[in-house]
Amino acid sequence: MTVSPSAFIKGAGSLLAGLGVTIRAFFQPVVTSQYPRQLLNISPRFRSHTKLVADKDNPDKNACIACGICVKNCPSASVVSVDGEKREGEKRKTATSYILDFTTCSQCGICVEVCPYDALDFSADFNLVGYKREDFHFDLVKEFEKRKKTS
Amino acid sequence: MVEKIKTELGAALKEIPIGESDYRERGYHLFAEVASSDLLNVARFFDERGFYLAALICVDYLEYLELVYIFSNHVSLCKVKVALKIEPARPVAPTISTIFDCACWYEREIREFFGVTFEGHPNMTYLFLHEGIDYYPLRKGQIPVSDEDKKSLGSFRPEGGEDTFCVNLGPQHPSTHGVLRVVLKMDGEYIEEAEPVLGYLHRMHEKMAENRGYLQFLPNTGRMDYLGAMSFNLGYVTAVERLCGIAVPDRANYVRVIATELNRLSSHLMWLGAYLADLGALTPFLFVFDDREQINDILEPVTGSRLTYCYFRFGGLYNDVDEAFIAGTKAFIERMKGRFSLYEKLVTGNVIFINRTRGIGVIAKERARKQAVSGPVLRATGIAMDMRKTEPCAAYGEMDFDVPVGTRGDALDMYHVRVKEMENAVKIIEQALAGLPEGPIMTEKVPKKLKPPKGDLYHTVETPRGELGIYIVSDESDTPYRMKWRVPSFSNLMVFPELAKGNLLADAVAILGSLDLVIPEIDR
Amino acid sequence: MEQIVNMIGWEALKMIIGLVGVLVFVVLNALILTWAERKVAGHMQRRIGPKEVGPYGLIQPIADALKLLGKEILTPRAVDRPLYFLAPIIIFVPVLVSFIVIPFDASLLVKDINVGILLILAFSSLSVLSILMAGWGSNNKYALIGAIRSVAQNIAYEIPLLLALLPVIMMVNSFSLKSIVEAQKGLWFVFYQPLAFCIYFVAGVAETNRTPFDLPEAESELVAGYHTEYSGMRFALFFLAEYTNIFIVSAIAVTFFLGGYQGPFLPGIVWFLLKSYLLVFVIMWLRWTYPRVRFDQLLNISWKALIPLAFINLLITGGLLKL
Repeated sequence: MTVSPSAFIKGAGSLLAGLGVTIRAFFQPVVTSQYPRQLLNISPRFRSHTKLVADKDNPDKNACIACGICVKNCPSASVVSVDGEKREGEKRKTATSYILDFTTCSQCGICVEVCPYDALDFSADFNLVGYKREDFHFDLVKEFEKRKKTS
Repeated sequence: MVEKIKTELGAALKEIPIGESDYRERGYHLFAEVASSDLLNVARFFDERGFYLAALICVDYLEYLELVYIFSNHVSLCKVKVALKIEPARPVAPTISTIFDCACWYEREIREFFGVTFEGHPNMTYLFLHEGIDYYPLRKGQIPVSDEDKKSLGSFRPEGGEDTFCVNLGPQHPSTHGVLRVVLKMDGEYIEEAEPVLGYLHRMHEKMAENRGYLQFLPNTGRMDYLGAMSFNLGYVTAVERLCGIAVPDRANYVRVIATELNRLSSHLMWLGAYLADLGALTPFLFVFDDREQINDILEPVTGSRLTYCYFRFGGLYNDVDEAFIAGTKAFIERMKGRFSLYEKLVTGNVIFINRTRGIGVIAKERARKQAVSGPVLRATGIAMDMRKTEPCAAYGEMDFDVPVGTRGDALDMYHVRVKEMENAVKIIEQALAGLPEGPIMTEKVPKKLKPPKGDLYHTVETPRGELGIYIVSDESDTPYRMKWRVPSFSNLMVFPELAKGNLLADAVAILGSLDLVIPEIDR
Repeated sequence: MEQIVNMIGWEALKMIIGLVGVLVFVVLNALILTWAERKVAGHMQRRIGPKEVGPYGLIQPIADALKLLGKEILTPRAVDRPLYFLAPIIIFVPVLVSFIVIPFDASLLVKDINVGILLILAFSSLSVLSILMAGWGSNNKYALIGAIRSVAQNIAYEIPLLLALLPVIMMVNSFSLKSIVEAQKGLWFVFYQPLAFCIYFVAGVAETNRTPFDLPEAESELVAGYHTEYSGMRFALFFLAEYTNIFIVSAIAVTFFLGGYQGPFLPGIVWFLLKSYLLVFVIMWLRWTYPRVRFDQLLNISWKALIPLAFINLLITGGLLKL
């Protein structure tokens, strides 16, 4: 393994340069954020599970009319079923249950896009936890009602 | 050049008509339909003229099975489609793996998915599937797999010899970048044979494509190569737009370029970190994640995802970019330019790293052509072929960037090529940001349910790993009839057994890392 | 008290107290070094290391020790029992013996043996035996490959280690570590023998199987090398031995080249520990900067580079001393 003196010096220099990088990094501030103690901002377009949006004219009810277009268009069959009933004095149906199986959802956004009444949007629940699969089978109408109560 | 090939091919094939096709619509310049007896002559013809076998696709048309061979050329960029019709009851075809080595695995895949027997194939064993599969998956009907077929396909048994023993590298292994199993036959420290075993991550994306509409298949594209999801998205979206003849507004094209180049940067950075972690240096892995997190933080407010994007739509984008994105990208570019010198000092010049990678895994140009290698691996051998230059989609045609090439084809060259590609990506993003036009991001009047006209299309795109080829056969319905994904890592992995032969185990790990494989895209 | 002294003699009592002190120090040192390694690694990678368990993560090593104690000690059925059980015990013998002669302060060493350094070098060869026992006794081809590599590496690097220490021994004319430290009252030997210091340091890092020379333990290739089949406390013993070896390598470097416990103002032991831990920091710094050297290149460095250089250095020193 004959090494010329210039190659040796270059090699030794490269080793010292590498050491210089790490020792500089040693004294620089950390770039990590201490997650549970320091929460991060979630951008408004972050894609978690979908949620129902309030109707523009009547904020007490959600804008879904149970047409079922999202059910037909979902590629993973994650929107299991949408049921609705026609109530007195209303032109269109009102959704009574919207079952979303979030375990198979790929957050593609097709349901949000094809909804003719813009009734769906992404939520920002990034830290969902549960012990069983059923914890992620959401009924979006119930979630909507829950949010109405807390707001 | 196309005329020359047409006349020469016509002379070689005599009675077979050779048609010219509209390259814009079909993705190939010439097409020919041959019989089984002519296939070997045709293959030899293309081999002598320096073509490589870009893709070997099988399509089940019920009355017949069609084998589609796409030959492409690095220099003249001429693409030729050769079709071979075989009868569905007893499908048999001659093998061309003696002429083009890459056909060996292409034909194995077709054998287990379609049941086509290739006469003279050296090693017809299971590639992705196993004996539990009772029907040929990609056939349109339920064609059962006979017991002799199962036995002959399942005949791979690794065993050691007198002085050798067999060791598994993987499937759970920190170095194999995914779920890849390589059966190594070792003689002490040296490797005699390496046989990759695939299929641990097989999710049948090609069959899913036949059962979903064009828009509904879009999320699947991001899952195939999760590190370069934007480029897979781009390839698919531009392929369908080309098939349907949808034009895209300029602003959408520029944003597509910015997003794809950011993704390319992110993918190459990840490769750098993982490669050095394989070699033992654990610090660059974390420095790389620092940069990647910045990219994710830029792309998340726009696309909503951090890794598996589903951002493009047919005719434009899902939503527009805002000032925060542009400002963030500009700040990131400035920061990234400074980071390159950090990687230069920590990695590129390091004498230990150079000694680990120089002269390891040398690929000759001829071997690269026969194995249909593409991407940075191909450019490291000295062939300057980049789909962004040869077939520009989106706004790549208006960008000014270099195509870095190496000289020796070893792992160190592949490293240098990828680092220079990162610098070029920064350059492209700068130009795209500077020239970003105002305007709409989506064309008007894109039908909700796309029904492309009847025909087929072979579309290629440059992903961070190489040439992605998408072959779509449309039958005017709203789901594709057949969609084949020719992924770059599949061909790149084929080179590994011959590179690993005679090397130490440490070198084999270095070679595997330098090829930049992402196993989910191999397994689809 | 008087009766104990009369029974066993004053020297023996000093020896026993010293050994107990050494054991305490070994355990404390291992605790400190595991914490320091993770913190140093963390900050070099722009992140904080352990921080949850105790202030600045200081209780983390104790939590790790408790975890290891609680793990099931699994003995695979097909191991070669005597070898498998004895290996982690034997790897501790050279470590403890080495501590007997290292001078922590002018009067703080267990026993000032006049062949001090020979004792240390002789016993460090015993650790090679223990590695081989671990690899062979595990009855596992990965462990065996790792053990063989480790043995080849250790044997190859012992020679430059010895050759680099010889010039200093020649200059002082004694093997006793205490006299070597005393001889550095004027100028530290690192200024007289810079090349020997570098060779010794590189060989020492290789002896302890640390990156860039840690191929026998390479995680990304052979699972974990010779200690693949060990779990729980036995695994902890191997790691304890490795970290203590790091300290011993640094301590000998400090004793031979950096003046031992000498220094102004502060008591000797503080200087000794300061200098030793500075070298330990440098060893950690090397680990988190460089990739691994391949095995044949590793052996080439020893046989073709370090040994000739060490010989040349030895000849020059001998010649200069004669004149």
